[in-house]
Amino acid sequence: MIFDQFNLVLLLLQQMCVYLVIAYLLSKTPLFIPLMQVTIRLPHKLACYLVFSTFCILGTYFGLHIDDSIANTRAIGAVLGGLLGGPSVGLAVGFTGGLHRYSLGGPTATACMISTVTEGLIGGLVHRWLIRRGRVDILFTPWLVGGVALFAEVMQMLIILAVARPFAMAAQLVEHIALPMLVSNTIGSAMFMRILLDRRAMFEKYSTAFSSRALKIAARAEGALRDGFNQENSTKVARIIYEETGVGAVAITDRDKLLAFIGIGDDHHLPGTPITSAYTFEAIARNEVVFADGNAMPYRCSIRPGCPLGSTLVIPLQGEGDRVVGTIKLYEPKRKLFSRLNRTLGEGIAKLLSRQILAGRVDAQQQLLAQSEIKLLHAQVNPHFLFNALNTISAVIRRDPDHARRLIQYLSTFFRKNLKRPSDVVTLADELEHVNAYLQIELARFAGRLDVAIDLPERFLGVQLPAFSLQPIVENAIKHGTSQLLGAGRIRIHAHADGDVLSLVVEDNAGLYHPKPGGDGLGMNLVDRRIKVRDGTRFGVRVECEPDVATRVILQLPLATQPEHTT
Amino acid sequence: MIRILIVDDEPLARDELAELLAPEADLQIIGQAGNAIEAIAAINRLHPDVVFLDIQMPQISGLQLLAMLDPERMPHIVFVTAFDEFAVQAFEEHAFDYLLKPVEPARLAKTLARLRKERAPQQIDAIGGNAPLTQLPCYGHNRVYLLKVDAVEYALSRLSGVYLVDADGNEHFTELTLKTLEDKTPLLRCHRQHLVNPARIAEIRFGDNGAADIHTVGGLTVPVSRRFLRTVKDALGII
Repeated sequence: MIFDQFNLVLLLLQQMCVYLVIAYLLSKTPLFIPLMQVTIRLPHKLACYLVFSTFCILGTYFGLHIDDSIANTRAIGAVLGGLLGGPSVGLAVGFTGGLHRYSLGGPTATACMISTVTEGLIGGLVHRWLIRRGRVDILFTPWLVGGVALFAEVMQMLIILAVARPFAMAAQLVEHIALPMLVSNTIGSAMFMRILLDRRAMFEKYSTAFSSRALKIAARAEGALRDGFNQENSTKVARIIYEETGVGAVAITDRDKLLAFIGIGDDHHLPGTPITSAYTFEAIARNEVVFADGNAMPYRCSIRPGCPLGSTLVIPLQGEGDRVVGTIKLYEPKRKLFSRLNRTLGEGIAKLLSRQILAGRVDAQQQLLAQSEIKLLHAQVNPHFLFNALNTISAVIRRDPDHARRLIQYLSTFFRKNLKRPSDVVTLADELEHVNAYLQIELARFAGRLDVAIDLPERFLGVQLPAFSLQPIVENAIKHGTSQLLGAGRIRIHAHADGDVLSLVVEDNAGLYHPKPGGDGLGMNLVDRRIKVRDGTRFGVRVECEPDVATRVILQLPLATQPEHTT
Repeated sequence: MIRILIVDDEPLARDELAELLAPEADLQIIGQAGNAIEAIAAINRLHPDVVFLDIQMPQISGLQLLAMLDPERMPHIVFVTAFDEFAVQAFEEHAFDYLLKPVEPARLAKTLARLRKERAPQQIDAIGGNAPLTQLPCYGHNRVYLLKVDAVEYALSRLSGVYLVDADGNEHFTELTLKTLEDKTPLLRCHRQHLVNPARIAEIRFGDNGAADIHTVGGLTVPVSRRFLRTVKDALGII
């Protein structure tokens, strides 16, 4: 009798082992991820229900037929479902497993169904009780799970005794199956939880390692490429990646050449040299990650045949509009496998760096924009002119208050016109008013040293031209021309038409024009470009210079009568 | 009595400053100059104690002018400018006195108070005032032009002024003194009234009386006095 009992225990334990192997294998799938913590959300509860119902039914199938009944490990599924999913999931699992058992028939069918539902409920109630007390940690201990399973099995035995008829048969059955079922369900539940815990530990270890490395790289590489995607910054970043990932070597390239290389093979992978690897070209051309693992996709160093590097991962770096601006390459030597972790990390790092490069370019552009705005503002305020004008007026006030008042009028006209946007279009009459306001002040300032003659026929005064085209030219003629003369300066402004081209000529008697490379902010070059953009390359600014005699700046404008094509 | 020269290319600005200075009994405005050339001439001739010097002037700026003055008779300089942030920054750094136009009477009073108390030597070289001259301002035909030092064969001083002579024998009038040329250019003193460009010396012919003549590459002759023969020989490495 005792021998029989022992035999049954062994047999059921064997069955349970098969059951646990299935559990172990399933634990490798994503199916188990929701089971690793207390489930609250509905999809997780559903997953919990499905998995444990399956195990519940499996438990019935892996049972031993004794007389007309089945010694089984069904309780594992029901108890765990309840423990992890709460009373509702526990009941649902118990009900599903119970119905299945009921459908198989036999004298204990009803008793087994009731007991399975009870087991699920017990698990669920323990779950709720622990959650309410905030002791979730205990929930995940194999000891507790084993204990609950043992209690649930005892309940099952009592239910069989209470429900199954005739009682003598039930008593005999319980005598046979009680010990094997108590032992195997208790151990089985505890081990099932153990599997879950191991799986969770592995998963957490992996993700912890991953996140801590990723965070460390992110922290160390913060802003490294923001102030420029160049050799110096790339070398810093490559070193960080090399140190943190532990790969064989790290390279960073732009679209044409190697910017940085750290690690194995740095004796012949030299920064500054052009890209030679076909994989890199492929990654750049297709904007895709290229992975040459050295087996399925052969890798061989394109520079030196004896290079110990055996596999490479090439990840494109993206700038504006996802355009490839370069690549990051990770290498492993021939004797080492490329870890999945490093592959994923590599792609993440590339994303991080792409962002930085992009942010850096945005920074640079904003700076440029700010600079050109300051330049425009500076030109509009024209401090040199302003302070000289104020000084002149302050001297004139003493001897001729009326003249001073007129000069202040001119000064305010000048600044009002100056505050126009350079994109505005004005008539020649408008522009001439600007020029006149400017000249009146300069005439007072250079008193006697400057002579101005303006000779523009009435019929040209309606011609349209970009704002700030004539005034900067006249200002240049004085600033860089006549004001550099020891004797008297003469400025002449006149115009003539030639077909549909109007030529406005600003002429000085200094002849000191020297073309400056690049030109200055709102100077002649800019006037030329603005006219060409608006009216075409036939028009623009031309300069004639007779050294020490005269400089003539000629603005060529369309003499069109219909100004509608302006923007 | 402090003797003052006003240098500014704008007549109104000169008048304005002169008017502000007029009530001061211990000041005497001894002249005005409208450009750097006039200023050099006036400074060399009148030896003012103080020069109110505008920076922005035709051809040669106030700052460039400094390098063209005789370092040993350097007047005290007060810069005047309407707007020149870089120059002003330099003045602040080297404790140079300067006035901003339009000139504020209170600020001018402060400057005058300092001038009356003491006129400490100014660090002219700190603002580029002692830089070697590579181009020399010459005056002719009512305009200033700049002559490269390399093109000068020799310089001579006459009663009418200082002249630079080029390889073709053309004489160029300059307001620079021989002393300034000697100090600020490679030109070498060979005679009380002559400097010679050592790079242009072709040969030295020794005379009987201990004097000598230099013949230049351009075929011109420059006298060497007994007094300066030694220094010429030293400079050329002749024993």
